[in-house]
Amino acid sequence: MVTDKRNLAGVVYFLPVPVIMLSLLTGPSDTASIQNIIHYFYHYLKPEVHNESSEILTIGSILWDVRLPRILLAFMVGGALSVSGSGLQAVFRNPLVSPYVLGLSSGAAFGAAFALALGILPVQVSAFLFGLLAVLISYSAALKHQNISIVSLILSGVIVSGIFTALLTLVQFLSDPFRLQSIVHWTMGNFHHAGWNMLSSAILPMVAGIFILMLYRWRLNVIALGDDEARSSGIHPVREKIIILAAATLASSAAVSVAGIIGLYGLIIPHMVRMVFGPDHRRGMMMNFLIGGTFLLIIDDISRTVAGFEIPIGVITMLIGAPFFLFLLKKSNIGWEQ
Amino acid sequence: MMKSVQYLITALTGLALIWAVSCQQSGYRKQPGALTVTDFRGKVINFAEPPVKIICLIESALSGFYMLHAGNRIIGISSNVYEEPVYSYYAGLDDRIRNKTLPAPGNWDFISIENLVALRPDLVVIWASQTEAIQSLEGRGIPVYAVMLHSLNDIYKEIRDLGVLTGAMTRADSLINYTQHELDALYLKVKQAGLPRRSVYFMWPKGPLETSGTQSTVNELIELAGARNACMMPQEHIVVNIEKLIEWNPEVIVMWYDPVRNPEDILKIVGWERIEAIRKNHVFEIPSVFEGDLWTLKFVNTVKLLNHWCYPELTSAGEVETSKQKMLKSLYGDR
Amino acid sequence: MIQAAQLTDVCFSYGKQEILVNVNASFDDSKFTVIIGKNGSGKSTLLRVIAGLLIPGNGLIHFFGKNLRDLSLSERAKTFGYLGQKHKAVFPFRVWQVVLTGRAGYVNYLPGKNDMEIAHKSLERMKILHLKDRNYSELSGGEQQLVMIARVLAQEPKILLLDEPSTHLDFSNQIRLMELLKSLTHENLAIVAVMHDPNLAFWFGDAFWFMRNKTLEQPGSDLKPWSADYLRTIYEQEFNTIPFEGKAMITPLMKKGLTQ
Repeated sequence: MVTDKRNLAGVVYFLPVPVIMLSLLTGPSDTASIQNIIHYFYHYLKPEVHNESSEILTIGSILWDVRLPRILLAFMVGGALSVSGSGLQAVFRNPLVSPYVLGLSSGAAFGAAFALALGILPVQVSAFLFGLLAVLISYSAALKHQNISIVSLILSGVIVSGIFTALLTLVQFLSDPFRLQSIVHWTMGNFHHAGWNMLSSAILPMVAGIFILMLYRWRLNVIALGDDEARSSGIHPVREKIIILAAATLASSAAVSVAGIIGLYGLIIPHMVRMVFGPDHRRGMMMNFLIGGTFLLIIDDISRTVAGFEIPIGVITMLIGAPFFLFLLKKSNIGWEQ
Repeated sequence: MMKSVQYLITALTGLALIWAVSCQQSGYRKQPGALTVTDFRGKVINFAEPPVKIICLIESALSGFYMLHAGNRIIGISSNVYEEPVYSYYAGLDDRIRNKTLPAPGNWDFISIENLVALRPDLVVIWASQTEAIQSLEGRGIPVYAVMLHSLNDIYKEIRDLGVLTGAMTRADSLINYTQHELDALYLKVKQAGLPRRSVYFMWPKGPLETSGTQSTVNELIELAGARNACMMPQEHIVVNIEKLIEWNPEVIVMWYDPVRNPEDILKIVGWERIEAIRKNHVFEIPSVFEGDLWTLKFVNTVKLLNHWCYPELTSAGEVETSKQKMLKSLYGDR
Repeated sequence: MIQAAQLTDVCFSYGKQEILVNVNASFDDSKFTVIIGKNGSGKSTLLRVIAGLLIPGNGLIHFFGKNLRDLSLSERAKTFGYLGQKHKAVFPFRVWQVVLTGRAGYVNYLPGKNDMEIAHKSLERMKILHLKDRNYSELSGGEQQLVMIARVLAQEPKILLLDEPSTHLDFSNQIRLMELLKSLTHENLAIVAVMHDPNLAFWFGDAFWFMRNKTLEQPGSDLKPWSADYLRTIYEQEFNTIPFEGKAMITPLMKKGLTQ
């Protein structure tokens, strides 16, 4: 039984590569159809100096300037949200936790609305900063004598979420229809405007956060047993929690700032991974990253091609991801104890 | 051994990713050139020659292109052009639209980057509020002319700039002159009549209490028509309290084209019976968005409509109709 | 002789409420020390203070001559292993994964082969190797207890601090556990266990301390710890004693009419 999980893990390791390849081939424009793309590669690989027909240029531009950055962005965002969700669920020892529990999503949404309405800050930066701010407020509100109780953290997260949601509603109310539409659009979650610029602005915090969470993946096992158990075996629970919290917030705030709100993703994927691979975070973290990334990429591919207009990715995630999750729920052990 | 190989691969992939990403950052390449316009963001846009392939994602600006007889430069439009009530008008203006062969890679609130890039435009005309779209376009080296209209003078600027960009500056000037001439004529007429300014309450289709205040294009229209805005507050878009509305007691109520409500519905609203406009049955609806589009030079038509409704003794319905036909002919030409 | 652990004038209060006042005691190396007392006398609190989970208002705690305050968390983990009373399992970890977490004080980020082997050895010592791949949360309370002790052993500590280790175990498993713990002391491990069953304590323990009046005490040289006279002062109740193996067994005072 252990070995076929190992085989499954092996499959997951190699999955991203073909999925990325296939994703490059999918898209809404007719010019970049399969035959044309094959034509393009053929052209590329042949060393003779051809007349650079505009069609070839266009295809090149679409593949490398439009699709590839979007693919990478979708993958990284999916991976960042899943890895953060997994880390947070371990720290909080609570299955209902996602990267949004501390007010991150409401703060980021407000930040984006704020930027879209007033135009003084770039939207991404504003979303990122306000996401961080929300978590910081939740955290300091729950801090008592240098100790953090999980319950008070979740409580303050709920309150802070509420505050920023109220502020968001206010901004929406005061905005003219144009800006309102932009705000709503942003909140629904989308990769419409993905490009190399966007990717480069978000990649550093995402990679940093993911890296730290990967580094700490075994220590998450220890934290997950309990504060007393962690402390008595030599790990400082509060310090570890802060580090993991910071890393998860960094990664997810960056993810939200470029992708909008993709609901419940950081909740569902860690659960799925745990159901299939068990709760050991040593393997679980890597699986979270790979599966989280691949899955979101597939969902984004679907949202790009299925309809003429683009369905917001947050919507599709829920419509596809949730039933799949329910199916797994019925089939197997939830991977959690009551 | 497997472990360290895994680490190595992961680290290399991470580094490769970051390197690739930083290499790819392209910026907006400035082209030196003879044609220069400043768009509504204050950004200066240069062209050596008038751009030949233009994607226009603003329906009202699209009208402007056709008025300038530069419709042939358009290679992409916003998808709402294919919807009624404007579709039939544009189908008349351009065969490509009638046959639905003109691509629509976006709308007033979103764009499909891939489709847009595939068209390889020289210029994209888009609302300035779509900041993310603009960023991703300019980041790929595609020039963007961003529009934000707050006043009627802005409409003049837009036409002028589009004229520069399409090499149709003389035509642009003549269009503006024509419009201004019509407005001046109306102004004289109203002044000579010497009637007191009647109060008008403007209603948006979003809801009966949605209106525009004194710092808005709507306000300008009302004033040009010789009347005054019943709404005293400054905001461009505002939801007012019904008590305030009753206090202002407008003499005329004008509805923007509303697919759902008619003047009869407004007359029936409970609580509004005391308002003078209701009592005197002075509730009107702008019949066609296209013919009186506030964001184009056709706003003149709306002004005249307003004028007719407020001062029926001055301007008859027939006069308005004739001048409208004349306007459409002058602006668009024979189609 | 350097004591495994030494308490000097330790005081602790929860806010205004005093729990421990001037506790003075020393625990020998390679010996099985038991702390006995009534419910609510502060035994668990004392153990938590010794383990550094609670900070005493006053007093010093030394392990093998070193002040507790001077030991970093990982050094503490290598010195003593603390096992509290309650443990709630939230994740369905395997038994070996749980035991492996005991190595946290030795591991930088990821446990290595050596850590795996030590965890394995811990399971062997506790004689629960056959449970290695089982789901921890599916085990019985007693089996879970054994796993947690194995986990503490994986820390390779020099002294074990156990709070009521025999709860949840059936009678025969209690005996087995105590035998196991006793054998560990023969392998150079000191054990300090808080227990509520004096008989179990006397059968296997080497040294005895009693919780009374918010402090630890031992009977004077004239009284034996297992004497009814002494135990009366601790439990404030009458007992009978039956000599057993050089010490004694405590039984209730059977009043007339109770067994009829």
